[in-house]
Parts: sequence; C-alpha cells; structure tokens
Amino acid sequence: MIIDPITLEVLTQGLISIVREMRATVCRTASSVAIYDAKDFSCGLFAPDSQVVAQSEDIGAHVVPLPWSVRSAMEKFGADLRPGDVILSNDPYTGGTHLNDVTVIFPVFQDGRLIFFPAVRAHWADVGGMVPGSMSGKATEIYQEGVRIPPVKIQEAGRINQAALDILLSNMRVPEERLGDLQASLASCRVAEKRIHEICARYGVGVLLEAVRLDLDRSEARMRACITGLPDGVYRFEDYLETYIGGNFEPLLLPLALTVAGDRMIADFTGASPQVPFPVNSTAAVAAASVFIAVKSIFDPAAPLNQGSFRPIEVNAPPGSIVNVQRPAPAGSHGEIRKRVIATMVGALSQVVPDLVAGDLCRTSFHNLIGGYDAKRRREWVHYEWSAGGNGAFRENDGPSAMATIDWGDLVTVQSTEVIETRMPLVVETSRLAIDSGGAGTTRGGLSMQRSMRVLAADSRYSLLSDGAVVPAFGVMGGLSGVQVGAWIEAADGAIEGFDTPGKIAGHPMGDGSVVVIRAAGGGGYGDPLLRPPASVQEDVEEGYVSLQAARDLYGVKLDAKGVVDLVTTEALRRRLREARFTLTTVLVDDSYEAGAVSRRRICRLHPSDAAIAGLQADDLVEIDARQAAPLRAWLRIDPSIKAGTLPIDQVGLTILKILPGQRLEVRRIATVILPQELLARAAE
Amino acid sequence: MSWLGVDVGGTFTDLVFLDRESGRLQVLKTPSTLNDQSEGILVGIGRLSLEPAGIERIVHGTTIATNTALEGDGARLAVLATEGHRDVLVVGRGNRMAIYNIKAPPNRPLVPRSRCFEVRERLQVDGTTTVPLDEEGVAAIGRHLACAGIEAVAVCFLHSYANPDHERRAAEILSSFLPDAVVTTSSEVLPEYREYERFSTTALNAYVAPRMRRYLGELNTRLMSAGISAPLSIMTSNGGTLPARRVESMPVLSMLSGPAAGVIAASFIGQAANFPDLITCDMGGTSTDVCLVRGGEFGMTTDGRVAAFPVKIRQIDINTVGAGGGSIAAIGSGTFLTVGPRSAKAFPGPACFGRGGAEPTVTDANVLLGRLGTEQLLGGEIGLDREAAEVAVAQLGEKIGLSAEQMAEGILRIVVVSMAGAIKEISVLRGIDPRDFALLSYGGAGPLQAAAIAEELGMRTVVIPPMPGNFSAFGLLVADVRRDFVRTKVRTVDTLSPADIRETLSGLLEEGEEELEAAGFPTARRRFAATLDMRYSGQSFELSVPVAADANDMSKIVKDFEAVYELRYGGTTAAAIEIVSYRLAAWGLSDKPRLPAIDTQGQTIEAATMGARSVVFDGASLPTPIIDRGRMPPERSVAGPAIVEEAGSSTVVPPGWSVKLDQIGCLVLSRHGGRVQ
Repeated sequence: MIIDPITLEVLTQGLISIVREMRATVCRTASSVAIYDAKDFSCGLFAPDSQVVAQSEDIGAHVVPLPWSVRSAMEKFGADLRPGDVILSNDPYTGGTHLNDVTVIFPVFQDGRLIFFPAVRAHWADVGGMVPGSMSGKATEIYQEGVRIPPVKIQEAGRINQAALDILLSNMRVPEERLGDLQASLASCRVAEKRIHEICARYGVGVLLEAVRLDLDRSEARMRACITGLPDGVYRFEDYLETYIGGNFEPLLLPLALTVAGDRMIADFTGASPQVPFPVNSTAAVAAASVFIAVKSIFDPAAPLNQGSFRPIEVNAPPGSIVNVQRPAPAGSHGEIRKRVIATMVGALSQVVPDLVAGDLCRTSFHNLIGGYDAKRRREWVHYEWSAGGNGAFRENDGPSAMATIDWGDLVTVQSTEVIETRMPLVVETSRLAIDSGGAGTTRGGLSMQRSMRVLAADSRYSLLSDGAVVPAFGVMGGLSGVQVGAWIEAADGAIEGFDTPGKIAGHPMGDGSVVVIRAAGGGGYGDPLLRPPASVQEDVEEGYVSLQAARDLYGVKLDAKGVVDLVTTEALRRRLREARFTLTTVLVDDSYEAGAVSRRRICRLHPSDAAIAGLQADDLVEIDARQAAPLRAWLRIDPSIKAGTLPIDQVGLTILKILPGQRLEVRRIATVILPQELLARAAE
Repeated sequence: MSWLGVDVGGTFTDLVFLDRESGRLQVLKTPSTLNDQSEGILVGIGRLSLEPAGIERIVHGTTIATNTALEGDGARLAVLATEGHRDVLVVGRGNRMAIYNIKAPPNRPLVPRSRCFEVRERLQVDGTTTVPLDEEGVAAIGRHLACAGIEAVAVCFLHSYANPDHERRAAEILSSFLPDAVVTTSSEVLPEYREYERFSTTALNAYVAPRMRRYLGELNTRLMSAGISAPLSIMTSNGGTLPARRVESMPVLSMLSGPAAGVIAASFIGQAANFPDLITCDMGGTSTDVCLVRGGEFGMTTDGRVAAFPVKIRQIDINTVGAGGGSIAAIGSGTFLTVGPRSAKAFPGPACFGRGGAEPTVTDANVLLGRLGTEQLLGGEIGLDREAAEVAVAQLGEKIGLSAEQMAEGILRIVVVSMAGAIKEISVLRGIDPRDFALLSYGGAGPLQAAAIAEELGMRTVVIPPMPGNFSAFGLLVADVRRDFVRTKVRTVDTLSPADIRETLSGLLEEGEEELEAAGFPTARRRFAATLDMRYSGQSFELSVPVAADANDMSKIVKDFEAVYELRYGGTTAAAIEIVSYRLAAWGLSDKPRLPAIDTQGQTIEAATMGARSVVFDGASLPTPIIDRGRMPPERSVAGPAIVEEAGSSTVVPPGWSVKLDQIGCLVLSRHGGRVQ
C-alpha cells in the first residue's frame, strides 16, 4: 500500500488530535484536583505491540514508560482480549511508575481485529497505604505505599468487574473520588475509540495502520541517522543517589555503560546499587523511559514523540537494583531515578556530542510538605511545594532558571503566593532566584528558586523527600556544579537550624512563627567560566544572578566601582586563577571504588601533603575533571602510601574523563553543607 | 451624519464608512503604514468621498498594543514589587515551553530583573497592613529612576486587589519624580488575585502605554487637521468600544482590538441572517482567529496571552492558530511537512507577489490551483504571478516526489487540518459538536478555504458575509461601548449573605455607572450583567456563574454554580463552595447601522457569470464558472464547482457544495453529497 506524504501528515496530526481530545475529556470529568487542576495525568495511543503511537502535551514521565504496562497487559491477556474489555493497572513491578499512577488500557477493535490501545495514566490522590496521599518517605516495603493492581480486567465484555472494583476502592481513602477518576479515564478512552472508528470509516483501517507504520519508521530513521553519526564505542558515566542508612550518609552508585554500535545504542546499568528498603528505587520501565527521554531531548526535540525514536535503543537494568526494583522493596522514587538516569546519559554523551548536551539539570523532583493542624481555623492543612531548580547550560545559551525539567511536560512549578496565603496558615516572605546557585561556566547554569515561608500555626511539621542535597548537578566541558538542594529553619528568634539528613526530612516540628527556607538545586554550567565573556559576567552581576565575589573568584572578572569590567585586572586575575588550579598526574590503578554498607562509591586517594595544599580533608566530596566532558565525583581519602603529586584512578575513570594515564587532572572540593544565602557563593566554588 | 470604522492590520488598513441618511456603505482597503499607522488611515480617508464635518463617530481597531508587545519595542519599564518578591515577573509560573528539548532557551522577561525594585510594605490576604509602605524607600527609587530614562513604571504589590492604598501612594510618589512617565498600578489594571497574572497584565499595560499615547495623540492631530472632530473610540478585547483617552491609560484592553471587531460583526450578521449558532473563522496573512458564537452570544475568557505573557483581562474567547495565507510550507528532516507558523508576511510576501519571496505559501497554492484568479489585484494593490507560485511549489514537491499540483493541494489540506484543529479546541474539546454550527468565514483568505474546513469538521453550512475582506472594520460600527469590572474577595458561600454579595456588586455598579456617565450614555442606554467566579474549595480555577445584581437567595447562587459545574465537568462534589471574584460587564448601547438593502432587480446567474477557468479539485482539473458576487441574484442556488469573486476576496465552492446569495447579501454554501459523519 502506498500512502502519499500529505495523507501521512493528515493522519499523524489526526491521531495527535485524538489524544488532545482524550486530555480534554479527562479534565472535564476527573474528580481529583491533582488530575484536572494540576494536570498530573497523561494520555496516549499505543499499538497492540505496545509502541507509543501518539501523545500531545503529555508528561514524558508518564507516557514514555507506559509501553511496559501495555506489554505486561498483553503478556497476561494476549489473545484473550475482546471488545468491551478494559485493563486497569498500577503495579510498578509489571511496568508501572509508582502506585499513585493508575493506568487504564482500553483495547480498540476494528473488524474484529485489535488495532490500538488508548491509555490514560493519572495520578490518583490516594491509593491506600500508610499515609494519606500514599507517598511516604518512610516506606520500607511497597505494601506501605498503597494497593498494588497487577493488570486486571476491570471491565469485561462491557461489564464492570464489580468484585475487583469493590476490593480496590475499599482500600483507598475517599473512594467516591477514586471512582470518579476511573470513570474519567474510561470516558476519555471511549472518546478515542469513537474517533479511531471515524478515521477508519473515512480512510480505511489499512491506510490508517500503514500511516502509523510510516510515521514510526520515519522517527526511527531520524534517530538511527543521529546514532550513526556518533563514533562507535562504549561511553561510560556514573552518578549517585543519596540515602542515610542507619543515620549515616551513603551514596548509591548508578553506573552507565552506553554502547554505540552502528545505528544502535545500548544503555547498560550493570553494577547499579542493590535496591534498598527506602523510597529510592524505581522500576525498569522508568529507567528505560528516562534513557529515551534523554535521547529524544538531546537528538530529536522538534518532531512529535512516538516509539520509532526508541527502537534503536536497548536498555539493561539489572533486577534487584535501584533501577529495576523487585518485590517487596518500595518503588516510590521514580522522580529521582528518572533525573539520575538522564544525568548519566548526559554525562556519557558529553564525551561524544558536547555540542548537543547541556549541564546536568537540577537533580530532583524536590517534594516539600508543610502542614499540621491549624487550631485557629480548626482544620488539617498540607502545603505541597515542588519549586523548580535550574536547568543546565548549553553551548548557545545559559540554562533556564527555575523552570520545569525535560521530564516534566509543561507542569507549573511556581505556585502563587496570593493563593498559598489565602488557603494556608503561611506567609511567603521571600520567593526569589538564589544568587550564585547556577553552575558557573562559559554559559551559566540556571538559577534555582529559593522561598521562605513563615508558619502561622502551632504544631506544624516539615517534610522533604528529595535528592541532590549532597551531590550537586554537574557542569560539562569545564563548567562548574550548581548548588545543591537546601532546606533550613529560621526560628522566631532568628536562630538557624539545619538538618542531620539533608534532603530526607520526615515530619520535623516547627514552632508558630518560625520560617522554613527551601532552595531547589541549580543547573550545571557549560565550558570554562574563565572563558565567559566579561560583559556577560558584568550583566549577570547587574541582574543579580551572580555576586561580585563569585564574579571575581569563579569567573576571574573584576568590576570597578561603577560595576564596569576592569579589563586589565580581569586578564591578570584570570591568568592567576588558571595557574592556581590544583592538578595531579594520573596513575592507572585497578580499582577506584570503596564498598559501603550497601553500595560502592568512587574514592580519591591523595598524599597528605597534596591534601594539605588543596585544603582537602578526609570524606570531602570532590570533583575530578579534565574539562573535556562531564567530571567524576569521588570521596576523599588521605593515604600516605600514595606518591605525592599523583592521583590513582581506574580505567573507567580515565575513559569518562577522556584522558590517558600520565596526563594531569584537576581536583576541586564541592562544599556539601550549605545553609544561608551568604554562603552560596562559597558553595559554588 | 455618518460613522467611520477603521481597522488597521499588518498588511492592509480597512475603512468602512456609513452614510446614515442614505444607509450607503463605502469600503476601502489601503496598505498599512507601519511606521505611523495614522498616515495610512488619513490616506484612506482622503480616498473615501465623505464630508469630514458630518462624521459623528470614529471607531478604530488598532494593533499598536499587540505589536509593541510582540516586537518587544515598548517602553523602558521599571517594576516596583513587594519586598521579597522581586522575581514574580522574571520566573513566571516556572513551566516549560519546549517540552522535550534539553536546549530550551531561557524565557525573556518583559522587564529585566535589574529594573525590578523591592519596596518594604506588606498586606495580608484581607488587605490589612502588616508592614506599612516605606515611602522614603519609594522616593529613593523614584530619584534613581528619574536619572535612568524610565518611561513607564508598573507598581505591583501583593494582595493589592484587596487594598489599593499602598500601590496608589507609591504611584503618587513616583509620579512626582517622573512627571512624564506612565505609572500604572496592578489594582487599577486588574484588581484580581494571583500575582503573576495580575503583574504580567499590569506590566504589559505600562510597557505599551507610552507608545499608545503617542500614537493616539498623533492620530488625533491628523484627524483634526483633516477637519474631523468626531470623538475617537477604540475597539477593545471584550468586544466593546471605549473612548480613546480611556485606552490611552489602559492600552492592555485593546490587545485583541481587530479580532474582537470581527466577532462582533459576525454575531450581528448571524442574527440578521438567522444563523445564531456560528463558528467564526477569520483567516488573515499570518494567523487565523476562530471563535464560537451560540445564540448570538460569544464566550468570554480571562486566559489570554500575548507572546509568552498572560493577559488576564476579560476578553472574547478567540483561539488563534499560526497559519494563514502567507504561511510557508516546508519539509523538515525526515519527511515532516509543515505549513506555518513561519510566514512570508507582507514583504517579501508569497512567491506569487513577485517581490522576491521564494518559498511556497498557502496563497501560492491557491493561485497555482486556479482558486485565486490572477486577473484581479489582491486587495486592489498586488498583482499575482502564477508562474512564480508554480516554481516555488514545484521545488518543494520535488523533494517528496509530488507534482506541483499535488503539492499545492497537499499544502491546502494541511492548512485546513490545522484550522480544523483550532476549531476543535473551542468546540469538540469542550464537549460541543461543531456540526450544529454554521462556519462564518471572512478575512482576506477565509472564503478560499472555508468549505474545505467545514468539510473536515463535518459542518454542512458556510456563510460568507458581505465585504468579507473588510468585515472586521464593519464590526467597529456595530459595537457597543463596554467595560468589564472585577473585584476579588475569596470567601466560602456559607460565610456570605445575599447582602454581602449585593454590597460588592453595587460597588462595581457604581464604577460602571460612572464610566458610562462619562461616556455620555443616558440611563436608558446602559446595561449591566454581573457574574461570580466560583469554585469548589481546593480548586485553583473558577467557573463564571451569572448572578442578579439584586441577588437575595444564596441557595440559588449555589444551585446555579452546580448547574454550570455539572455542564462542564459532568458531576458535582460535596466540597465547600467559594466565591472568588465578582465581575460586572457594563454596556453603553449604541445605535446599530441597518444593512443596505441589496438591489438585485433583474439580475441572473448567467449575467453574473464572468467566464470560466480550470480549477483543480482532488487531483482533477474541472472547468469552473467564475461568478461576480455583486451581480448575483438572491436565493438562486448554483452547484459547485464555482468561484465567486468580489473586490478583496474569492469564495471557493467545491464539487458537492452549492452556493446562493441570501436576502441580506450573505453567500450561503451548503454541502449536499460527500461523506456522512
């Protein structure tokens, strides 16, 4: 069958328009505020073999992993599907994200043949479990996170499976609202079914399916052409997630080996930390989808999304690890795993296509909860806050500040102060970009949002489920790190109180009148900050994005009393800063890792005299960089057996940094405890 | 006595002149003069035969405000913000515009951060002061701004909708240091809560105000010197008109000036021609505006945007898609074919303009397929070069293995799909079936594509009004004076009595009466309608619920809200209900022109047929009669294919459709065969 390019375009747009109508239907009919108001849901059309065919303004974090759920459903029901059947599922272990994301998969038949699955994945406000809202920072098993729904036929031959539905709703809070959400998803899929039938009547099912095939094939061809353009090889990177095991900080290693072979790519996470009984793990679907989101956003941002782009890519996530969680470990941390997988992809690809990548994005989904019992209004209250951090800088431009990241669709991240103050016993005292929070670079990483909120109720509590509180977003090509997530309390008397477990805070009590300050993480910089045009640094100082101190210490730019660049001093200053960089000669060793309670981590062994010169102490977090791609992160060990002036490093490390043994590397300290604003400039160093 | 309507667009300036004694309408198109729009207007006036002293009123649709905002060449602006909240306009709502793009560039705020100044002051939700205004701090900023060449200041304090005192006082102090600058407060522009949207609207207002003031001053001088002393009114986004001096200080009200006039004209004609349920489709050079009119009433929205900036002013709910006659067709890598949003604009224009445009546009496709004749000058000005169109279209077709004709039909199909998509967004996506509506199409390019768009949506009727090329200008003559007022006071209904509601509404009514009094409307010609923005507690968006100004029953208000909610979302919940904002629309009713009776004595289709040419439909070249609209007899149906031509516009009647002229001079196209949906 031959389809002209015009009909192909018309049908492609037609399918996207069906998804738009699905979205509108969900918005019109859902019961959860999180769905119809915050738009925490996505729709899509899928092929029987599970490939995503069309989406519209949907959230990548929902849609891209959805094929795994469709596949699980097909494996279970396969030939047993009939018109009038509908599948319901939320099980992370069989292709889901977290339990709150409940998915309806709706088979559509034409002439007795299964042709599409419209599907809706929506965040239900509650699916049972140990806390209202189901997401708990303290879950040690999935059973505490809510009801698991493996793929089940919630409707069979047009009849609702009342027994299954009754069991489910009996285990969720506010069941009538959940029923409304389910009906919204069903209504949305029915609309899609009707429209698909209309298209079939007009163009013929054969033409429609052929157009879908061509549309997916051309996306595939575009992606294969991109990959073919890359030199073959194995590119590696490694990054960390943060936990406190027995109260002690432990970074969990996430290594990536990215193989480029001809027009194919394999992302292999072998060696990832074993899963842990904390909400840090996520599923194989989420890990793979995050690889896809990174690839799509780096290589082919313009075209509409479909599965064709992802066919050339294979993902290996070892079962039982943090990127392929198995029963019974909690699976609530898709927001963090997603961002870290994207980071490893960016880090590996920065070695190959530095012009296409950006510095690391702001590390975390940054879930803050402030709430308690408001005695004055006699009601319980919870404020949920997910302020965005900075995005990474790229060759052409600075990274956007305080903007949703690439996995977040068009989600709003800045909530209105006037609305918050109308609803909550809170005063938003400040809501500003955090000066110096963006990673320094030739182009600068985006700044993060910093907000301080005064609580006007006794017995309030603050919780934070985040990551990136210790390990910041990295820069690339010599760009520096952004600033980590920060949170602290300013008591009514002005005393500042930090937390023992930065980034993971559960129900910390707050006094009436005290202020919680929360700062999202900054984005990584791009390129050597000493190469940033001095005029841009001057402008950043004028605009308040960069402090005078950071201009001088990080960018080597001296501004005179009027705020104008002093070119002569600047040139001398830049020379001095460049010469003062602390470098060591690399020596190849077998192993650069050390085992912790759960996971391995990279360490940097230095001779005591070198550590003294660099002002480094044992356990410091350092960045090891050759300024040719993304840097490595390691924890410092002082070891008299190491030869002074040298840095032992394994082959993986050398590969990531793109250098050979005997070449020199720079070691930089990363400040890890960063409280009030004034210390930010120092932190950025 | 006479009325004059002037609509300035990106390419052409349209004038409509009504002699009220004879009822005679004159229409005219002249090229817009973009450096100073008033110049083109005066050229147009000079070409009309009119008696300047006899003009009673001039109503003007202007793009000054929109263009200034889109092109980013507005005033040197500063913003005063509450301490701690300098970045409201800089970060917006923190959402992403380019969804899967790791290189999404940073949003460019309307005003750089360095010109956003914090002032010590703070109000609570209910408007009570927690921190008094630091007047010395404001003065210090005023002194600084006086040296910095600032032309406009937007004063944007938190919770000022509940209490404007701090903003007013700060504006007063600033004005004393900046006597020539425009100083606007957010409580005056939009006393409604949600700071980003209110501040954005206010900052845009301040940003475009100095230029609007200069322009209106210039225009006034030119009109006076031409002997025209009639009061000048400006069309505003809500479909009403306001005296020019009001728009000088509130130019943000005129962001949709031109498109709103078109919708007003459409609902007027729809009533007259007995098509109360319409979808309007105004297809211009670079974009197309669509709007849903039901029972003669158009919807209103407060979710407007200019470029990336929200404008929360209450305006007609018009959806715009970035495709029009000048939209360029291109092929991306792979075989992705796009039409628009890139446009050839007026210069160089489509390839067929012969001004050096080399890329194929929608207009080129229409010329190549014979739908747009080359005998007439486009807009009475531009000759069309068929060969140039063919070269441009053929080159594109070659890349994907299509002939020039196939390519041209393909370009039109794709543009029709995107217009249909824009119409779906305001109908299907809101649960409304477009097949229950007639498509009313106008604008230079509208009548060419109208039948195809209707076909795509399963609509059976297309209406092409008289003067489709000057239709928006005609709307200027039928619009009433209108002003919308709003007040935010968030309370749950169980804490409110009908007296509370009446009190707030009567405050708005007073403002409305004042405004209409000042505009010279006697009580008998004033009309008011109040609505409440309501929601369930916990939601962050509201629905508009009509309310009587003398409301005396809370349970009726609740019931009305539940009915509106159920219609929109298919069910209600048990949560508490809140009233968020109170709105009042105030109209000053103006006289309406009567449509000129059409004189069709003895006209026949045969005499109206000027000839025939071959036109391509669905791959087949069909001999197609060319009919002169001006000479058509009424109520005589002609089967397609046919092209109906008139000055400034061509209507395509495809096979399967027929066309007739109705009693008031509208072309009505009906679909007979074709697929059934």
